[in-house]
Amino acid sequence: MGFSTRQIHAGVTPDPLTGSILTPIYQTTTYVQPSVDEYMSKGYSYSRSGNPTVRALELKLADLEGGVDCICFGTGMAAIQGVMLAFLNAGDHAIISDVAYGGTYRLCTKVLSRFGIEFTFADGSDPDAVAAAVRDNTKLFLTETPANPTMKCSDISAISKIAKKAGAIHAVDNTFLTPYFQLPLTLGADLSIHSTTKYMDGHNATVGGAVISATQEHSDAVAFIQNSTGSIMSPQVAWLTSQGCKTLSLRMDAQSAIAMTLAKHLETHPKVEQVCYPGLESFAQHELASRQASGYGAMFWFEVKGGLAAGKKLMDNIDVFSLAENLGSLESLITHPVTMTHADVEEAERKRVGIIDGLVRVSVGLEDVEDLIDALDKALEQV
Amino acid sequence: MSHFYHFDTLALHAGQTVDGEFGARATPIYQTTSYVFPDTDTASSIFNLERGGHAYSRITNPTVAVLEQRIAALEGGSAAVCTASGMAATFVAITAILGQGDHIIASTQMYGGNISLMKNTLPRFGITTTFVDPTDVAAFADAIQDNTRLIYGELIGNPGLDILDLDGIVAISDEHHIPFMVDATFNTPYLCKCFDYGVNITIHSITKWMGGHGLAIGGVVVDGGNFDWGATDKYPTITEPYAPFSGLNIWEEFGPSAFATRIRAEAMRDFGATMSPMTAFLLLQGLETLSLRMDRHLSNTKELLDFLSNHDSVSWVSHPDLPSHSSHKLAKKYLPKGAGSIVSFGVKGGRDAGKAFIENVSLASHLANVGDAKTLIIHPATTTHSRIDAEALVAAGITEDMVRLSVGLEDVKDIKADFEDGFRAAKKIAKA
Repeated sequence: MGFSTRQIHAGVTPDPLTGSILTPIYQTTTYVQPSVDEYMSKGYSYSRSGNPTVRALELKLADLEGGVDCICFGTGMAAIQGVMLAFLNAGDHAIISDVAYGGTYRLCTKVLSRFGIEFTFADGSDPDAVAAAVRDNTKLFLTETPANPTMKCSDISAISKIAKKAGAIHAVDNTFLTPYFQLPLTLGADLSIHSTTKYMDGHNATVGGAVISATQEHSDAVAFIQNSTGSIMSPQVAWLTSQGCKTLSLRMDAQSAIAMTLAKHLETHPKVEQVCYPGLESFAQHELASRQASGYGAMFWFEVKGGLAAGKKLMDNIDVFSLAENLGSLESLITHPVTMTHADVEEAERKRVGIIDGLVRVSVGLEDVEDLIDALDKALEQV
Repeated sequence: MSHFYHFDTLALHAGQTVDGEFGARATPIYQTTSYVFPDTDTASSIFNLERGGHAYSRITNPTVAVLEQRIAALEGGSAAVCTASGMAATFVAITAILGQGDHIIASTQMYGGNISLMKNTLPRFGITTTFVDPTDVAAFADAIQDNTRLIYGELIGNPGLDILDLDGIVAISDEHHIPFMVDATFNTPYLCKCFDYGVNITIHSITKWMGGHGLAIGGVVVDGGNFDWGATDKYPTITEPYAPFSGLNIWEEFGPSAFATRIRAEAMRDFGATMSPMTAFLLLQGLETLSLRMDRHLSNTKELLDFLSNHDSVSWVSHPDLPSHSSHKLAKKYLPKGAGSIVSFGVKGGRDAGKAFIENVSLASHLANVGDAKTLIIHPATTTHSRIDAEALVAAGITEDMVRLSVGLEDVKDIKADFEDGFRAAKKIAKA
C-alpha cells in the first residue's frame, strides 16, 4: 500500500470493545491481569514497559520506515541516548557525522565521554574520511543527513557499507526528511532515529523520539535500554503524534514546495550572500541529495551580507517567522544556531564544520508563500 | 454494584469495567468521533436504541459513560447524562420535558446563569417561570398553575446560602405530580443525596467540587428513576411515541431511566452540548478524591467561620452551619456533615472596603468560579449576579458589601494570614 494510506492506517485497528475508530488514549499506569498463570496474556503489565497507545504509534512508524519494529522515547535526545547505550560499552568507539544537532554533540562529548565511550566526529560527506576514522573498537556509526544546521548530506549506503565491514551498527537520524522522502533502512542502515517532535507531530504540540530497527534483535536491544532507563513516551504524546502522522506526506509535500520557492527567491536577493538548500542546483551535494531521497525537505539556511550583526537584525525584525527553537512544525521558525541550537559546540569545532556566525536557519512552515516572501523581503530591507 | 459498595468505593470503581482488551487499570480516553460497526444490523439496532453501544461521540462515548455511571451510582440515581457545562445540563434537563406553554416554579436564590436562563431565555420559547422565596415552602404551593411542569431549586442557594426544605417541597411536588429538580452542585452527593428525600432529578456543574481542581468545564443531569411519568398526560415527551425513533415509547421501553434516555435521544443528538472524553477523564480523576476533598473543604470552612465571626473588620458572616443563619435547622437536617464551603461575609466599610479587601489578598484568587481546590473570592454584585436587576439582587440575598468566599484546601493558617492582609487594607479605607 502507498505511503499516504499507511500513514493513516498502519498500527491502528478499531477498538474491539467499542469499535472506536481511533486507538484510545490508554492513560493508565498498570494492567489488571486475569490470573497469576495468565500474567501478561494481554500483552501489558506496566506502562513503562509497554502501553497500547504508544504501541500503535510504534507500529505505524515501523511500517512507514520499512523497519521490523520501533521503540518510542520521551524525546528525540532520549532516542539517541537509547541507541548509544544499547550498542556502546565502556571502551567502545563511535563515529558521528561531524555536523549534527548540538544536543547530540553535547551528549557525546560531555556526557557519554564520562562513561569511557570514545567518539570521533568525521566528515560524513566524505566516505573515505569516515572509513579512515574506523578503529578496532568502533561499534556504532551515527549519521545525520541532511545535517543540522549546515544541510551537509552524507551518503547513507556508502557509510552503511563501511559500518558493515567494521562489524558496527549504522544509525541514521532521519528527522529532517522523514520516511516520506528518505528511507535509511532500505539504503542499508540498521536503525533510523527520529525526533517525532518535528515532522511526525508537525504541530508543535509534543516532544518525542523514536528508533526504528531493521532487525528484531536490534529493536529488542533498544527496548531493553528504554525500559531500563525509563525514558518512555507518554500515551497522550503518542496519541497526538499518531494524529500528526496522518498528514505527514501532505505536509512534507507542501512545506518543501514552499521551501524551494523561498530558497530560490533568496538566492536572487541582493542582500543575501548565500543560500543553502539541497533542492537548489547550486547546492554542492545536489546530486547525492537527489539520489538518496525523493524530496529535499523544508529546512534551509542563508547568510545575510554583513555577517552576524546583519543576521541578528533580520531575525529581530522579521514578521510571520517566529524566532524559536524546534523545527518541522506548521509555523515557520527562524533561528540563529550559533547562539541557540548549537551554542554548546565549541567555536573552533563550529568553524571547522561550517556553522558560520551569520548562518540563519529557517524551518519552513505552511503559511502562504506570499506572506513568507513578504516577511523576508521586509526584514531584509531593515538590514 | 451501587447497592453493595460504600461511597468512597463507588467514587473509585463505579461505572468502570476494567478494559477488556489490555486490562488497563485506568479508564481509557476514547478520543474518537465514531465507532466501527461489525455489521449493518448492529449499526441499525444501536441507532434505533434497540441495544446499547456507541455510534458517534456526540451522543455517547465510552470514557464519558464511565463518568455518567459513576455519578449516577454516587447519587443513587438510575442514569446520568454528562454535558459540556453545568448550564447545558440545566438547559437539556428542562427542555427534555417542558415546551411552549409550560411553567416552572424556581427559587429566587440561584446562580445568576440559572436565573437568566429562566427569566430571559426560556420565555422566548414560551416557557415561563415564577420565582419564589426558597425559605417559604407555602410559596411553592401557591405558585402552582395548571401548566406547571417543574419545580426547580438549588439545595444550597447561591449566594444567600438558604437551604431548600426538601421534605416540604417534595410533599408539594408529589401531591401535584410535578417533578422536583435540584441543582446539587454546592452539596455534591457526599454531603446530601437528594434522591433519598424524594427529589426526582439532580443537576451538577461538575466543574465545581465534583471535579474539584478548576481545570475542566462539565455538567451532569442525574435521573432519580423515581418519578412516574405515565401517571398523567402532562409529560408527552416521555410517554408519547417519539417520531424520530419510529414512534418509540420511551416510558414503556426505558422505565426508570426514561428521562435520561429522552435527554440522550433528543438533546445530545439535536443540541449537541457534549462533554469531551478528555474532560470526562480529567473529571473522573477529581471525583476519585471527592470525599477527602470535601472533608478538608468543610474543616477549613469551620475554622474560617470562627476566624471571620470574631474578626473586628467583619460586619457579618453568613453560612448555614452558623446558628445565626436562617437555614441552620435545615442545614443540620439535610447536610449533617456540613453545609458546604461557600461563605459570604461583609467587610466593615461597605462597597469600597470590600473592594480593598479583594484587591489586597494574594493567596485567594479573585475569579468567577467556586469549588476549586484553591481558595477563591468574588464580589457577586458586580460579577456573577451583575446581569440581573436590583430587585432580583435583593431577592437573591445579595448586598453591595458582600464578599463570596469559596474555601479551598490550602493550610487554613495561610488563608487566615492572607485575609489579615486584606482586612488591613480594608480598615484603612474604612477609616479614611
